[in-house]
Amino acid sequence: MDKPPLALDPNFSGASEDFPALLRRKGLLQIAPEPTGAAGGHTFIPTESTTILAFKFAGGVLVAGDRRATAGNTVVYDRADKVLEIDRHSIMAIAGVPATAWEMARVLEHSFQYFRRTQLQEMSVDGKVRALSKLLRDNFGFVMQGVGVVVPIFATYDGNSKPESRLYFYDAMGAQFEVTDYAATGSGSPAVRGILYYENHWGTKKLQELSEDEAVAIALRALDTAAEADTSTGGVDRSGKIFPLIKIVSQDGITTLPEEKIGQIFKQSVA
Amino acid sequence: MIEEPYRWVEAIANRREYIETQLAQGSPIAALGYCDGILFLTIGRRSRQKVYEIYDRIAMGAIGHPGDIERLRLAAIELASTEGFTRSAADVSLRRLAHYSLSPVMKGAFEQVYGPPYLARLLFAEVGSTAKEDLFLRVDYDGSLAADGLTGQPRQRFAVLSGTRQSAELMEKFLQKEHVTDAALPDAVNVALEAWSLGRMATSDTKELPERDAIRKYRDEQLASSSIEAAVLERDSKSAIRYRTLSDEELRSNLQR
Repeated sequence: MDKPPLALDPNFSGASEDFPALLRRKGLLQIAPEPTGAAGGHTFIPTESTTILAFKFAGGVLVAGDRRATAGNTVVYDRADKVLEIDRHSIMAIAGVPATAWEMARVLEHSFQYFRRTQLQEMSVDGKVRALSKLLRDNFGFVMQGVGVVVPIFATYDGNSKPESRLYFYDAMGAQFEVTDYAATGSGSPAVRGILYYENHWGTKKLQELSEDEAVAIALRALDTAAEADTSTGGVDRSGKIFPLIKIVSQDGITTLPEEKIGQIFKQSVA
Repeated sequence: MIEEPYRWVEAIANRREYIETQLAQGSPIAALGYCDGILFLTIGRRSRQKVYEIYDRIAMGAIGHPGDIERLRLAAIELASTEGFTRSAADVSLRRLAHYSLSPVMKGAFEQVYGPPYLARLLFAEVGSTAKEDLFLRVDYDGSLAADGLTGQPRQRFAVLSGTRQSAELMEKFLQKEHVTDAALPDAVNVALEAWSLGRMATSDTKELPERDAIRKYRDEQLASSSIEAAVLERDSKSAIRYRTLSDEELRSNLQR
């Protein structure tokens, strides 16, 4: 008997596998080759042409990213979304190769939902953080071939074990680092890290005490500074009125700041 | 060996009788359209969940053997999730899920007399962007389907699932009279509770609808020892995920006396 187009698997045992494993079983997720050193004798050069940043402030975690996508020296897109909502309380911001990063975000989003629907409970924050780590680790074979490096930031609100916002950054191999104050990755991140470190130590207020408007102002200044020296970071496009994408994670979920508001704060505190 | 066709027919008839007996004790489930979406409701023991989220816009209620329900539920989630991942959430459709996957598989299992059938009866609903696009769909243990909303818009905008045919028919009769398609949620909850009570009260010789007072009395008796399990699929939710469970306390607070 021919299988119907969406056939049920007779050897089905959904509870024991996670969503990426399910996708691999169905041939829907590419499997990276074993990491065997840089291919063809080339030296591996990590390229993460972008700037993303996140820091905790009084109202939760602010996550911001510029909008520029580049291929070598060419700007290919000036409205890229690098700050992606994964579920009601989680944001993944991406630096690195967009194709891999967006696919990872998609896998992650579906993984969390798949887990909740099959297991009838929400995945823990530690489980979510680890799921992203595993995706990065599985992707490392591509990274070593010089394609598909992704260095994300993950921000979430933990409603369960200890209610507070949590912020992590990763390296390309999947190591996760929880931070107390701020994180920045991508080619423009050294400048941003400098600014956030300075603000946190010698600014008028610590980052964690900033109001929303103050936090947005600092995020815009940091991205503008990064764009000043880094060609791969879009910063704020003053002529085209393209502003960075800024989202906030708090107990109530995720808010995306409207462009008008960002524009207003930009005019007041940055330009 | 069952070689002759009539033996097969006999075997299937026995199997049908066996499954019907097994399902007869199942606690009914009502799915009602209301002003903001679709409500799923049942009353049961706290130990076992009976209403589930399948995908962004699809929910399922089930009666039967927990093991079989679980297998079908996981299969439905797996199919919907891979479809939603490879294409988009908009391409996940209850119609395709039921017609091309669940129905043939359940029919196959039921008619292969050497293998075990699925001891389960499933009720699905899919919330559309307008009430006209809602779909209510019931899949039985033999793979047969009953739908409201598949061709043209849904006419009744409700569906029931029960252990016996009598009980389901009585619930439908009651809902045809009492169900208001654009009712507010508390009103829909009350109608659903009464429909459930009626379905639970019904025995093989209940032909006519009992008095309203008798239904409410029975409902209150049951509520004293059991809990309400309910979930909604909300039409205009800001999030892509439309499924939301309602708590027992929230539901009891606006019970009609």
